[in-house]
Amino acid sequence: MTAISRSLGNVTTAGRIVIPLLLLILVVGPLVTVFLATVIGPWVSGVVYSNLGIVRFVVAITAILLFSIPAAFIIIYMELKVIAYMNLRVGPNRVLPAGAAHSVIAGLKVLTKEDFSPSSADKTIFTWAPVMVFLTAVMTFMVIPFGPGLVGAPLNIGLLYLFAVGGMTVVGLLLAGWSSFNKYSLLGGLRSAAQVVSYEIPLTLSVVGLILLAGTLSIDSIARQQAGWFWDWFVFRQPLGALIFFIAGVAEANRTPFDLTEADSEIVAGFATEYSGMRFGFLFFAEYVNVFIMSALIVTMFFGAWNAPVDLNAVLGYFHLAPFWVYLDPGQLGLGLLLVLAAVPLLATLALAAPVYMLRDNMPAWKALLIGFVLFNALLIGALGLVAYIDWDWVAGLVWFMLKAFTFVFVFVWMRGTFPRVRIDQLMGFAWKWLLPAALLNLFVTAFAIVILKSAGVH
Amino acid sequence: MTAPAQPGHPHPSLDDPRIMLDGQIGQYEQVPPYPPRTEREAEFYTLGDGEMFLNMGPQHPSTHGVLRVVLKINGERVVDLDPVLGYLHRGVEKLCENSDYHHIISQIDPLEYVSSLFMEWAPVMAFEQLMDVQVPRRAEYIRVLTGELLRIASHALFQGWMALDLGGLTPILYSFIERDEIVEMLAAVTGQRMLFNYFRIGGVNGDLNHEFMSRLGDWMSRAAVQHEANIGLLNENEIFVRRMRDIGRVDRDTALRMGVTGPNIRAAGIPFDVRRAHPYSVYPELEFNVPVRGSNGSGDSLDRYLLRLDEVRESIRIIDQCLHNMPDGPVMARLPRLLRPRPGRAWAAVESPRGLFGTYVISDGTDQPFRFRIHDPSFVNLQLVGMLMKDNLIADTMAVMASLDPVMGGIDK
Amino acid sequence: MTTVPGMGLIRGMGLTLGRFFAPKATIMWPEEEADVAPRFRGRLQLLYDEYGTLKCETCFQCAQACPIECIDMGGVDTRGRFHVHWGPPETYGERREESAMRRAGRPVADPAFTRFDPMDVTPVNAIAEEHDYEPKDLLPMLEGIQAAYGYLPVAALKQLSRQTGAWYAFVYGTASSFNHLRFEPPAVTTAAPAGEALRSAEAGYVSALDAALGGRPTR
Repeated sequence: MTAISRSLGNVTTAGRIVIPLLLLILVVGPLVTVFLATVIGPWVSGVVYSNLGIVRFVVAITAILLFSIPAAFIIIYMELKVIAYMNLRVGPNRVLPAGAAHSVIAGLKVLTKEDFSPSSADKTIFTWAPVMVFLTAVMTFMVIPFGPGLVGAPLNIGLLYLFAVGGMTVVGLLLAGWSSFNKYSLLGGLRSAAQVVSYEIPLTLSVVGLILLAGTLSIDSIARQQAGWFWDWFVFRQPLGALIFFIAGVAEANRTPFDLTEADSEIVAGFATEYSGMRFGFLFFAEYVNVFIMSALIVTMFFGAWNAPVDLNAVLGYFHLAPFWVYLDPGQLGLGLLLVLAAVPLLATLALAAPVYMLRDNMPAWKALLIGFVLFNALLIGALGLVAYIDWDWVAGLVWFMLKAFTFVFVFVWMRGTFPRVRIDQLMGFAWKWLLPAALLNLFVTAFAIVILKSAGVH
Repeated sequence: MTAPAQPGHPHPSLDDPRIMLDGQIGQYEQVPPYPPRTEREAEFYTLGDGEMFLNMGPQHPSTHGVLRVVLKINGERVVDLDPVLGYLHRGVEKLCENSDYHHIISQIDPLEYVSSLFMEWAPVMAFEQLMDVQVPRRAEYIRVLTGELLRIASHALFQGWMALDLGGLTPILYSFIERDEIVEMLAAVTGQRMLFNYFRIGGVNGDLNHEFMSRLGDWMSRAAVQHEANIGLLNENEIFVRRMRDIGRVDRDTALRMGVTGPNIRAAGIPFDVRRAHPYSVYPELEFNVPVRGSNGSGDSLDRYLLRLDEVRESIRIIDQCLHNMPDGPVMARLPRLLRPRPGRAWAAVESPRGLFGTYVISDGTDQPFRFRIHDPSFVNLQLVGMLMKDNLIADTMAVMASLDPVMGGIDK
Repeated sequence: MTTVPGMGLIRGMGLTLGRFFAPKATIMWPEEEADVAPRFRGRLQLLYDEYGTLKCETCFQCAQACPIECIDMGGVDTRGRFHVHWGPPETYGERREESAMRRAGRPVADPAFTRFDPMDVTPVNAIAEEHDYEPKDLLPMLEGIQAAYGYLPVAALKQLSRQTGAWYAFVYGTASSFNHLRFEPPAVTTAAPAGEALRSAEAGYVSALDAALGGRPTR
């Protein structure tokens, strides 16, 4: 007691205020928790369950906004690293191993930069144009199914919504270019208007054939129709449509070889010339979010959406194996669960550390233990992931969807590392002279085929 | 000259017509701010319907240094243009007239920083004529060898810049890797990587050494293959070829009339090469072809691009012959330390990667030249942009300019 | 151009994908430094001989020859009297100016910087004009100055440097190369008889030494 009273006598004035406060929190905290759990909680859940649609929308919007930023970071990092490797360079390599956090740090840098606007700019539009570009990009995420059931708003006219909202991006770019009061920006904005509006047409027309085949405008339903083996994907029934969609998608996302809106060797940085700070960051993020959306769309429409390329059930059935599920009920273990929780990490860490310690010379024990701990965690996460993959089909769907989408992001980056840029007249000529007739041809051939097959009684 | 502050005016800058305030948007002063001095200027600075000026350079990302081109555009189409030079003017000729003959080599070295050995070669040859110096044959072979190596490096860099101006990110890096190998090689023998300062009056600074020879042998064994691999990225690329074809056409008569030299005139169908037309050094003893393209009257940017790639192949041939025919002997003639040539004049020209690079020197008998003049190929070739850029798109201006391969250091002197 | 449209694009993509897995050309600076060629000349170096003494004999030729004037040399002559400097004067003055050194809290110790008494330099101007301010005729001009003043005052040398445009180090170096030019007023002339006596006494010492050593050594 004396020790405690002596130490209390030694505390500073600030401490004399803080320690009673802490005690107060200790007393009041549990009471508040109990109150929240018994009174507020049911009320909140009651409100939530009675307005499930709105809550679902808000949660989806928040999740998508939160997802779009790391997705953009990953794509920016990919762009830096992949192009560097294709250029025989090393690329970012300072922040974290292999520079993994480089784009995050660059994003923070953008946040700390001065955010100014030119004195002659139309300040209101100048301020809101990047927001518009970014939000229209993010809004298209709402109808993209990331997995079975993992869709923000399961609209039955999802495709229509997609092209409507996606076409609004150009308004933001045009406003950004016009309000900057800069000739390069103006040229960039007008170029983007001409380009995006022209490529919107083959982009939409190339999907019409697919819509005829699928018989629906709902993206979720299109995705479900491609289940099974990889030859059930629409790319094998609509190869020309897929090709046109890919090319027009590259142009829609303003990527090389169609990146005329920000052609740095012609019109410095296009519509983004006068932007700095986080406003530039918004434009920059929007570009990469667009890349991801285009890849996601290509995957969803033509490359089987979230479906695995191999029909696992069919394979298991061929080998006379039942599809297996892992059932875990920790309650079966009873008090043994506590023992498992206490002992398994320790034992597994030791077991994994022992071979490392024995096989390597001059390995200090703490380092071996650390390696063992890391290995154990990696194994645990892998095992949990496997269980989740097998148990929950949305996990499996998300994994496959992300794999395919980032494969296409890689293709976009790969093209940027290889191709020069086309000229504006070649760009427009290509859209109107080649892509549009090809898309129409695709549409008519598909329609004829459907009519003939239907009359022949084949489905 | 700002007006003195008057009562009612808080700051003199309010009177300064060059400072534009928030309320004055739209009240632009005329471009340029002075009344037109010539008829051409008056014509250029009068805007037609729907036209506007676009300033390319001197800080534009792709104007090859500090060239400034004022474009008068109508939409995406260039109606007229006005190149503005002089942002890199250093007065090299006057500097050379005020330094003695040995200094001139280092003064003129950074003139064209991409191919600086050729900048040394021409004045050194002119001084040797003035002083009747017999250059040892080994030194001549070394000059040809290093010069052709640098020509390859320069053309490799051209290829990368060409692609970069058309929006390709990757070829410039491959070009720099190729150039870096050659530059490291030359650094082994000259000591420097960029401004070699290697040629001397009466020879070269040092003999070939083991490091250079081993690097060269290593490089020669894979030079041709590597070259073909690197150009494969562009030569067969439909986007690249379509952007280069049929823009920036130069026919034979225009090329002759404008005094174009180097690869640009050979791509217009005229086989003019100083190494063959006015042979110097040991080039008469070496076997090589003068590649010509555009004989059918095309003479477009693609021809100029492909011709430089042909020249790289010829240069590899020349290097091979140099290595086989390299004689023994000294690399430097015996000369007094202070050079005072007799009064007289001399002209010497070499075929630099950009064309005929010549120097004209008048000696008055002292240790400094009385007059020293430089004929720079980039300057002459750049005259073509006025003709070639007109009636093209903005994107093509860059392609045309890059295909002429100017270096601003030599143009502004 | 290939026959099949788009083949060139695909082959280009193949090339970049191949390079994606190829070894990289980056030099990982600063962990790894690029080699400098043994013949690299871009550094200033003072060489030492095998006894550990400086090989530089202060001939000023490097400073004179440096085309971009990046070498400047300065120092005090062997008797610590006159400051000699070769190179861009303005940077030098900025660095070693008295006030600058005082501001830096350092004592102004260099006696060569003591001011010289003002003196009439019109003869120097006349001499320079007579030789058309030609820096190549330094020797006759210096001889003229010595004839006018009896010696070469520092102020006169500075004035000559200012008039002809030659660096002071150049003027000083030329002047110090000739034995008949002197920098200090000739010693106070003693009376002639005393001088005669001294000279005869000297001659006596020499002849005595000759006798003791058995004649002068033959060459």
